[in-house]
Amino acid sequence: MSGEALRSVDLRKTYQSRGAPTVEALKGVSMEVHRGERVALLGRNGAGKTTFLRIASTLLRPTSGSVEIFDIDIAAAPQKARPYIAVVPQEGKPFFHLTPREQIYTYLRARGFARETAKARTEEALDRMGLTGFANQLSVTLSGGQRQRTMVATVIATEAPLLFLDEPTIGMDPFARREVWASLRALTQKGSTILLTTHYLDEAEVLSQRLYIVERGVVLSSGTAEELKRSVGGTLKVLIPDGASQAERFRSFGTCVTDGLSLTVVVSPNALGEVMGLVTRSGMTATVGPVTLEEAFLRAVGRSINED
Amino acid sequence: MRTDGTAFAASRPFAGTAAFLWTEILVQSNERMAMVTSMVVPGVILVFVEILDPSLIGVALIGAILFSTFTMGQRVLNEAAYLRIDHKANELYLAGPLTPEAYFVGMSVGIMVVYVAPTVFLSVLAVLIVPLTLSTGLLLLALAAAVWLSAASIGYIFSTFFRDNRAIWAYSSLFFNIFGVLAPVFYPLGLFPEPLRPIVLLMPPSAAAALAQSAIGVTTLAPWQAVLAVAGLGVETIGLFVLAIRWARRTVRGE
Repeated sequence: MSGEALRSVDLRKTYQSRGAPTVEALKGVSMEVHRGERVALLGRNGAGKTTFLRIASTLLRPTSGSVEIFDIDIAAAPQKARPYIAVVPQEGKPFFHLTPREQIYTYLRARGFARETAKARTEEALDRMGLTGFANQLSVTLSGGQRQRTMVATVIATEAPLLFLDEPTIGMDPFARREVWASLRALTQKGSTILLTTHYLDEAEVLSQRLYIVERGVVLSSGTAEELKRSVGGTLKVLIPDGASQAERFRSFGTCVTDGLSLTVVVSPNALGEVMGLVTRSGMTATVGPVTLEEAFLRAVGRSINED
Repeated sequence: MRTDGTAFAASRPFAGTAAFLWTEILVQSNERMAMVTSMVVPGVILVFVEILDPSLIGVALIGAILFSTFTMGQRVLNEAAYLRIDHKANELYLAGPLTPEAYFVGMSVGIMVVYVAPTVFLSVLAVLIVPLTLSTGLLLLALAAAVWLSAASIGYIFSTFFRDNRAIWAYSSLFFNIFGVLAPVFYPLGLFPEPLRPIVLLMPPSAAAALAQSAIGVTTLAPWQAVLAVAGLGVETIGLFVLAIRWARRTVRGE
């Protein structure tokens, strides 16, 4: 046994349907997720994240390539892999005519949990996700965020060895998102592995131990958030609101990105004094902050788009 | 390696059927208006028959029972498609140890819950008005079960072809009304054009209705017609159920 929770090799998926153009959603994605890890897939809409998750969770056939879950080849034996996984589907909703308590409990029972275990885990999940106050209301009466919390609670309660979460915190308020993050961290401490997609880069950075940036079916880069940020070329960003026209003067200090009238210069701490001096001499103002994952993401994806 | 604590072995067929059935029963019983809507069409037709030709009310009552069981297939179609398209419930449940056949069977049986009260009501009326004996009652029960199983199988299979719920309403209404209302289910087979009778004897609801009508003495079936109806209903019920199970397994993974 390799020890990997998930391993994909040269995974490809091409969608072909009558009357629609052929779409190559995945063009040879290889990745590994170690046991007990939290890994995020980042990418723009249509990058291939959900396709990857659907294949890995045994819900979609790949065109070629392989995925193994705990050494089980999911193309050959999907039914063997399924007891080890649980999925929060993108835009999934709980049964509208069940309460959150009923939803979680019956889902656990449908997965084969004994009554007492299912009851205990249901109460724990409701409590963890802040759903106790709504636990006996039909889901049709809940807000979008509360329904999403119910979906996440349903899956978290399984404590499955490998969880796939497709945009798990979409529509949630900042407090609820943090409750989800805490629950997911607790799960990996118990031994579960998590692969998630998200458009919230702060979430990816705070929650994930490693990230894969995917664009147009290809993995552009991977690593920890720190590694990805370092790849931008510095750890600080200087934002000059009216600096776009002066970009050439700053180029020798680091990476320059213009956005409308503004200029962002990514620099190392050593170069910061010189850059700020030039800003002052030029009669401009600037704000300084740390480089975030957003810069790393935009740089990786932006470079890929420019290369095309 | 531990799983998530589930007792299900990966290869155990129908694993989780009872639990998913309970889920569906809870869902259906929380949707009380469904019980009313399940009675609307047969109720209206019974009223029409009572006004137009009261002598046919017994046949129409038996037809109403069989039609109700047939429309459970329509509800399976709508429910399966709705849960897949709008809720992604199939992804939640099937990317896990619950088997696809358990998902299909649990849903199909669970949906019966909204039909229990109307069917009992219709059955009591049938016992009083037709009147049903023990043997004809048991025959009707068996026929209704066959119609339910074939209709639920058709409903589940069809549900996998749709990507839009609104498209389903038109097709399912058309399909179930043609085979359940236009065909001789509420009225005697003898009133249906003779050249077309072999065709309706091959359709589950009208075949079951013809056999039930024959049992209560309203319709006389030629031996070949009885054989055709029994054989057709039997083969279709078993064949469609097996096909639905295989289809459920096959469609867990999209293409």
